[in-house]
Amino acid sequence: MKYSILFALLLFFGVSLQAQTQTGSMLIKNGTVHTVTNGTLENTDILVVDGKIQEIGSNLRAPRGAEEIDATGMHVMPGIIDAHSHIAIDAVNEATNPVTAEVWVGDALDPLDVSIYRALAGGVTASHSMHGSANAIGGECETIKHRYGTYNPNDLRMVGAPRTIKFALGENPMRVHGEGRGIQPATRMGVEQVIRRAFAEAKMYLEAKQKYETARQNGDNTVMPPTYNKRMETLSAILEGDIIIHCHSYRADEIYMLMQVCKDFGVEKLCFQHTNEGFKVAPELAEFGAGASVFADWWAYKFEVYYSTAYNAAILTENGVTTSINSDSGELIRHLYHEAAKTQRYGGLTDEQALALITINPAKQLGIDDRVGSLEEGKDADIAIFNADPLSIYAIPMKTIVDGVVYFDREEDPADMRLDVNPEEVMPAFFQDIQDHKHENCMQDTYMTFEELFRG
Amino acid sequence: MVLAFLAMGLSLQAQSMEDALKPVTRTYAFTNATIIPQPGQQVTGATIVVKDGLIQAMGTNVSVPANAKVVDADSMFIYAGFIDGLSNAGVPRPEREQNGPSRGRRPDGVNPGDPPRELAGVTPEKQVRGELKHDEKSVEDLRELGFTAAHVVPRGRMLPGKGSIILLAGESGEDMLLAEGVSQFVQFSSAPGVFPATVIGVMAKFTELYKQAEQMQMHMEAYAKNPKGMDRPERNEALEALVPVVNGELPVFFMAPDVKSIYRVMRMQDDLGFDVVMTGVKEAWHVVDELDGKNIPVIVSLELPDPPKEKKKKEGEEEAMDEEMKMLQQRASERMTEFESQAATLAKAGIAFGFSTMEASAKDIRENLRRMIKNGLTEEQALASLTTNPANMLGLSNSMGTLEEGKMGNLVVTDGNYFEEGSNVRFVMADGHLFEYEAKKAAAKGDPNASAKIGGSWAYSVNVPGQTAEGTLKLTQEDGEITGEISNSQSPETTDIEDAVLEGNKLTFLAPIAMGGQSITLEFSIVINGDEMEGTVSVGEFGTFDVEGYREGTPE
Amino acid sequence: MIRSIIALFGCLFLTVGLSAQVEKAQKGTFALTNATIVTVTNGTIEGGTLVIRDGQIAALGSNVTVPSDATTIDCTDHFIYPGMIDGGTTLGLSEVGSVSLTNDANELGEFTPHMQALTAVNPNSVAIPVTRVNGVTSVITVPTGGLFPGTAALINLVGYTPDQMYAGFQGVVMNFPNSGKRGWWDRRSEDEIKKAYEKNLKEINDIWAQVELFMKVKEGDDAPYRPEMEAMIPVMEGDAALMIDVDKAADIKAAIKWVKEREIPNPIFTGVAEGWRVAEELAEAGIPVITGPVLSTPTRPSDRYDRPYANAGMMHEAGVKVAIRTNEAENVRNLPFNAGFAATYGMGKEEALKAVTINPAQIFGVADKLGSLEVGKTANLFVSTGDPFEMKSDIVYLFIDGYQVPIDSRHIQLYEEFLDRSPGVRK
Repeated sequence: MKYSILFALLLFFGVSLQAQTQTGSMLIKNGTVHTVTNGTLENTDILVVDGKIQEIGSNLRAPRGAEEIDATGMHVMPGIIDAHSHIAIDAVNEATNPVTAEVWVGDALDPLDVSIYRALAGGVTASHSMHGSANAIGGECETIKHRYGTYNPNDLRMVGAPRTIKFALGENPMRVHGEGRGIQPATRMGVEQVIRRAFAEAKMYLEAKQKYETARQNGDNTVMPPTYNKRMETLSAILEGDIIIHCHSYRADEIYMLMQVCKDFGVEKLCFQHTNEGFKVAPELAEFGAGASVFADWWAYKFEVYYSTAYNAAILTENGVTTSINSDSGELIRHLYHEAAKTQRYGGLTDEQALALITINPAKQLGIDDRVGSLEEGKDADIAIFNADPLSIYAIPMKTIVDGVVYFDREEDPADMRLDVNPEEVMPAFFQDIQDHKHENCMQDTYMTFEELFRG
Repeated sequence: MVLAFLAMGLSLQAQSMEDALKPVTRTYAFTNATIIPQPGQQVTGATIVVKDGLIQAMGTNVSVPANAKVVDADSMFIYAGFIDGLSNAGVPRPEREQNGPSRGRRPDGVNPGDPPRELAGVTPEKQVRGELKHDEKSVEDLRELGFTAAHVVPRGRMLPGKGSIILLAGESGEDMLLAEGVSQFVQFSSAPGVFPATVIGVMAKFTELYKQAEQMQMHMEAYAKNPKGMDRPERNEALEALVPVVNGELPVFFMAPDVKSIYRVMRMQDDLGFDVVMTGVKEAWHVVDELDGKNIPVIVSLELPDPPKEKKKKEGEEEAMDEEMKMLQQRASERMTEFESQAATLAKAGIAFGFSTMEASAKDIRENLRRMIKNGLTEEQALASLTTNPANMLGLSNSMGTLEEGKMGNLVVTDGNYFEEGSNVRFVMADGHLFEYEAKKAAAKGDPNASAKIGGSWAYSVNVPGQTAEGTLKLTQEDGEITGEISNSQSPETTDIEDAVLEGNKLTFLAPIAMGGQSITLEFSIVINGDEMEGTVSVGEFGTFDVEGYREGTPE
Repeated sequence: MIRSIIALFGCLFLTVGLSAQVEKAQKGTFALTNATIVTVTNGTIEGGTLVIRDGQIAALGSNVTVPSDATTIDCTDHFIYPGMIDGGTTLGLSEVGSVSLTNDANELGEFTPHMQALTAVNPNSVAIPVTRVNGVTSVITVPTGGLFPGTAALINLVGYTPDQMYAGFQGVVMNFPNSGKRGWWDRRSEDEIKKAYEKNLKEINDIWAQVELFMKVKEGDDAPYRPEMEAMIPVMEGDAALMIDVDKAADIKAAIKWVKEREIPNPIFTGVAEGWRVAEELAEAGIPVITGPVLSTPTRPSDRYDRPYANAGMMHEAGVKVAIRTNEAENVRNLPFNAGFAATYGMGKEEALKAVTINPAQIFGVADKLGSLEVGKTANLFVSTGDPFEMKSDIVYLFIDGYQVPIDSRHIQLYEEFLDRSPGVRK
């Protein structure tokens, strides 16, 4: 009874949300098509109908009324996917507790963030808006599609994408809670125990719920369910395999630690974020089946990334780890194709390997690879069109398409793409954006001053 | 200077006509007026009699009782007293908010992950009763604008408490109280450095409390039915306070000024299923269809973005970017129009809404109403949103919202159409208490073609009700540049005036003064005729006052 | 048998030798043959040879004889480029970003032009090899913070002491007062920003008046010990540049006016994020610009998304002499990619290459030694498999100040150790 109501509610909800998603049809003609999963096809057409790729081939015909895009001389690739960003959300860190599994950044989506458009202008069609790294267990994250132009936060959601949650190891939770407030964790040992305790409590919560269900089934109405606890609800969903962990991590030891903890609790869905020293435990990551989402070349901005290498993605890839390259930044997200191309200098990855780092691999890490991440018939028409090989420094993203709708077109780009216009301020304030260069966006909203952020 | 103006501000609160002149009768008759009994209706040459706080008679053939105090309302307009859809009127700001720890800092000795619920802002059981003050400035300000009743909520953070209906007159705070516990007030306000410190924390906390209240309700019912073998339900004041919300017996007035908040509230409402009133909206033009489709009641904020100030040409970027500036200017002004026409957009869609004065500065409210009307809201709709609509939404339509025999004697008397510039509220009657107001001088208009010599020393006086502040204004005019200083007879300090502009014989200038760490700018607007000056001065949110003065000695 | 034992020993020695010996930079005579030589200043030579001797480019061309004592490096299918110069970094001054005690760029005080970057630059910074293997052979390393943070220095990315690294240019750094917000964390009100701006403006004017006064009293017997004033003398006398960091359009205009009023002999503007808004004025003022990072977000939400990419090109188009910087410490290696983005978004390959070679050399007055491949210039150059702005290209040989520098860095070493780790993946 209870479940059927819940199910009906979800169904109603999902349907009502999906109804708002705008889709389009079009024919992209005669491009060099990087499918990522099935090689590169020259002089190939892509037929998009109602937001889905219907056919990839030659001499395809556009349906009546559908737009035709001449991609002669152009390179067509799957829309880029960023497995780690903090754009399009109004809150990043609920930094008040080492465990805040109850919060969800998807509650605070910000469709008005101009960063979404800037990301589209870099060919990025979907991203993983994440909670920050202040807490050992942060909040749930949200996988969004870059449907810029709507004022409705719900329009950004990629409905049906699996739930994900942010974990964080190492310096950030140690600094915020241990150093900042004198509570555990102040060390990497403490981080482990905070996570173990959270999982153990969730297990007990689950057991109490099961006890209640059993009693009910046996007609015993004297047993009450455990007091509803949103944090425990989320944590137990992790234990039940309904949520993918995306864990901010740097050092090899802490990466290894979390894999051990997850093994002990039977948790299998695990992807590491940043993972700067992932290369040191690449075989272990591969064996566990954990993903790694990394920077192309960020290092030395803090001590735990001092012993890292720009060859990280290449080593991980060659060792069989599902690897992606992410931005964690409103700046980098604009040129992930360039970041991916760096793996050709740092480790000599092939074109297909390099493109996979920003398409099918992040899609796998987010559990959405059945819908996006490659150009295949039946998948969502999330497509980026470049004027040259996207792995070349001279490539310019020309058109970016989500669900068959063109959201970015360089030829028709009005300068001012703000949705959020302040009527009291004609000339928007000058804003020197230096955050991307020196520290992680992960630490936004942690109530630390600028100085603290920089100097730790 | 500083102290004098501070004293001026305080003295506003102490003065009231009633102190000086206690009424000798509780029967009043407003005669020969144009009466607007409800939006869209109008009766001229009519009389309205209020006895013991209730409307006793109304119409063109009403005889005036012998014991009535007669107010000759010839050429005046009488409306039903306005109802504020939501505000904190009469609820003083807590001390710590005024000069406590700065925002974003948590108090010492508190576990940020598990703070006391007052600090977290979870006080859904709270009522305004104990805090209400009848002589709060906010009460007087609203009344002077024509408001006679208000839906007021406690101050606080995410769950400040329950709403009450108060009348904007009374002998004491409690005396103003009409009804308690009429609503649950919720807002996306986070706590300082403790959970919930962000909007996502607030939303998670709200959901958790809601579901716990549902559980509690279930538990209490089961326990009431048969407690045998069952743990007794936990007592928890906050959760118990939410049970009527969970049961759909109490509407949630959810503060949602911006479009993102509106969508967030709608999503939570979809999820949890409470009765919601979208409150304090400023950007609802984006969501008209959704609000209409879901039949969500709306309370519109009476705050609007400030109109653009005429900026003096500054050196630097502006001139180099003509094309860009034009484009940006256009976008800003289009957006301004959207704000100004929000109310009209909702009205056109057939959504009946009330107004909230929360966040709006009292001195802007009438101007903001005029801006909304200029952008398509009809006067009838505006009046309905101030009277009948909020009365319906708050379940008050049997006692107020229109002028009818038997309803409360809540009315506002103006010397012209309320929505036209230049008209003045002359009387307000709230719960049978009469308040009289002076006609304000229209802001000095001046004559752009006249010329004036302004140099020299001027004696000025500012008329504040019950008090007059005097001082000296010294002005110098050289090569078109006007400089000067202003001082007050009570203090040796002088303040340099700024941004002085003389157009024809109208002089405007600013005098920034420091006031206990805050700075307040006095905005003077004065017309000079020969050796005499006359005009107004605006003192921040304290209001606008008349200034007059004369030149001491000869022009320089 | 014996032979195989010897062979075994040989192998052993070889292994020992390899693991024990660290590759060092070597000076000598080198001939790079059969290369495509991109001189930057005199066109491109196909199938050319370039000879390095005594730290300099001794010869280059298509008809150059290889000296008999030269180590010959066959560069068939490869390209030789002049080493790239980054016009603004904190390389060598900042080791680990968040660890304050490893950061030497920012001294206390508003007026500290006597703080010498050259003093604190760490020749053994791990970031230096990481940087140079991407073809960046020289950088300006710059003190930061305050109104006059110190004196920046141009260094070559080879050497064991600051003197060995010094490449012949120093400039006093000045942060022009900023009337904009400094970042998302900057919660100051408009009024507070304006007040701080005016206060800073007054401070630089007061400082300047002091400096001018000091120029008059410095020769006297009773001249006080004022090292910060002394540090300004080369600027006043035109021997050192004043590197003025300024980004906002209105501030750039104010800085132009300020420089003109004080007749600063040798001004350079750095940063210049909104240079495109005032490109004409900059060109007219004739002040050279070092801009970057190119890979940054627009300064205003209303700006076209690609403005930072296009800025360098737009200024060049208006006639401004433009060099490009990364403003980085550990990732100065991204200089070629910053130039590449500028090239793509309007500047063109050729100009973008100049903006990281000959232009900075000219701006710093060292074009006689650096910035292009010409006989007599310092041998700062690299050999690549292709266009160095392309990520696919590899840098295969590197020469700085005549030293052949190994293509090695901690990043490469970690790659070599961990690519095929033991124990590795269990199949």
